[in-house]
Amino acid sequence: MNESGRRPAALSAVDLHKQVRVGFRGRKLEILRGVDMSVDRGEVYGLLGPNGAGKTTTIKVVLGLMRPSSGSVSTGDLGRERIGYLPENPYFYDYLSGREFLHLAGRLFGLGRGQRRERVERLLVDVGLSDAADRHLRKYSKGMLQRIGIAQALINEPELVLLDEPMTGLDPVGRVEVKRIIDGLREQGTTVVLNTHILADVGELCSRIGIMCRGRLRWQGTVAEAAGASPGGLEGFFMEVVGREE
Amino acid sequence: MKSSFAIALNTFKETIRDRVLSVIVVFALAMIVASLWLATISLEQQARMMKDFGLTAVTLFGLVVAVFAAGNLVRKELEKRTVFFIFSKPVGPAQFIVGKFFGLALTVFLVVLGMGVFLFVVTWLVAGDAAGSVLLATLLIYFQVVVVMAVTVFFSTFASAILSSVLGVCVFIAGQLSHNVLSLTRLGEGEVLKALSWVVFIAIPNLAAVDAKPSVVGEGSIAWGQTALWLGYLIAYMIVALLAASWVFRRKEF
Repeated sequence: MNESGRRPAALSAVDLHKQVRVGFRGRKLEILRGVDMSVDRGEVYGLLGPNGAGKTTTIKVVLGLMRPSSGSVSTGDLGRERIGYLPENPYFYDYLSGREFLHLAGRLFGLGRGQRRERVERLLVDVGLSDAADRHLRKYSKGMLQRIGIAQALINEPELVLLDEPMTGLDPVGRVEVKRIIDGLREQGTTVVLNTHILADVGELCSRIGIMCRGRLRWQGTVAEAAGASPGGLEGFFMEVVGREE
Repeated sequence: MKSSFAIALNTFKETIRDRVLSVIVVFALAMIVASLWLATISLEQQARMMKDFGLTAVTLFGLVVAVFAAGNLVRKELEKRTVFFIFSKPVGPAQFIVGKFFGLALTVFLVVLGMGVFLFVVTWLVAGDAAGSVLLATLLIYFQVVVVMAVTVFFSTFASAILSSVLGVCVFIAGQLSHNVLSLTRLGEGEVLKALSWVVFIAIPNLAAVDAKPSVVGEGSIAWGQTALWLGYLIAYMIVALLAASWVFRRKEF
């Protein structure tokens, strides 16, 4: 805990800007317009916002997949070897089986054979894919791809996990399983950043949320604060914040 | 190093499990078998014809596999967005490029060597001529192909898969003719033309310099010292192409 009673930040962004050039003439498009956010260690943080708000871009900048135009982002002493990431609408290698794919993820993190084997088998059970482990990924349903994607994000036992729309394409059973995994991560003290559209999941899983709109973080606080700030609860508050900007 | 190995292994699995590869290899083997028929036309030079035709088939099909797979190698990762998966892990651009290259190089090695061994066996069984030089020529063909592959990987970091492959084929053709560029220095007297010819000569990999086919089919012998020097040059060429590919990739955002 720090002086303000909060745990130290696992992720922080200060005045983060990102401009990209689009079209034939290279028109400038500002995707991030000064994002300030802070995610405490060990919390499950929900990053909310309408489509095009800049949530995915923020995550990409955190991971180094994109470079910020200005501003800074920090994950403290956590390098990429301590971070797990599930991309939005993940597409993985068709020709690999689920088991081979997790072994590949483990190899990329430099895990030894024994450690890799133990984690792969455990994660296959955790995400409910043991029976489909030797099936090629091209034969996986969208929900199964999402679950194998979550498994690869956890192969390195990360301290910070970034999940971009993890519930997309999941059936109710799959969603329950993913929620159970996220709960398990919270119990282990892992920091989770959940980028999602589904407000009900946020209410259940997250301790704090940030609402993004048009490249800025418009609001940041606890779920209870957000739910209590509007007669419409969390959903009503979200609409108010987003509506203000629109 | 570990990441490069993991990526190489994955690329090897990707390319070796590709059904298009199997089709191409079957075609190549069929071409070599077809050389049997061709060889019957000239009974006295049956072995020579078979080697000539067979080695040409090995070169062409090896080139097709290498260039078209290399053109797709990096592009596919970008288009299918698997780069998100790769670069969210502790993997650098150079490790990625090197891993992709060596994974494909291993597949191409097996394909080219397989065709070479098949040609060797067919020549031996049909013409009774067990020429080890066929295998040696196959190895040198592999070198030529793999150099073109490295250049194609470089192209694919900024151009489309098709364009990269076409450019790769152009480099191969130019590489067969690059020694002719030096002839220009003899034609012209200007120093500028001379210097320019040398620049073009160095910039295009001289693939013909390591072509052992003429000696295998009995049109001269291999100058080993010179071939070794040219192999050194081609290895350096490959390294430069891969470094350039890594440099372009480092500047990319995903």
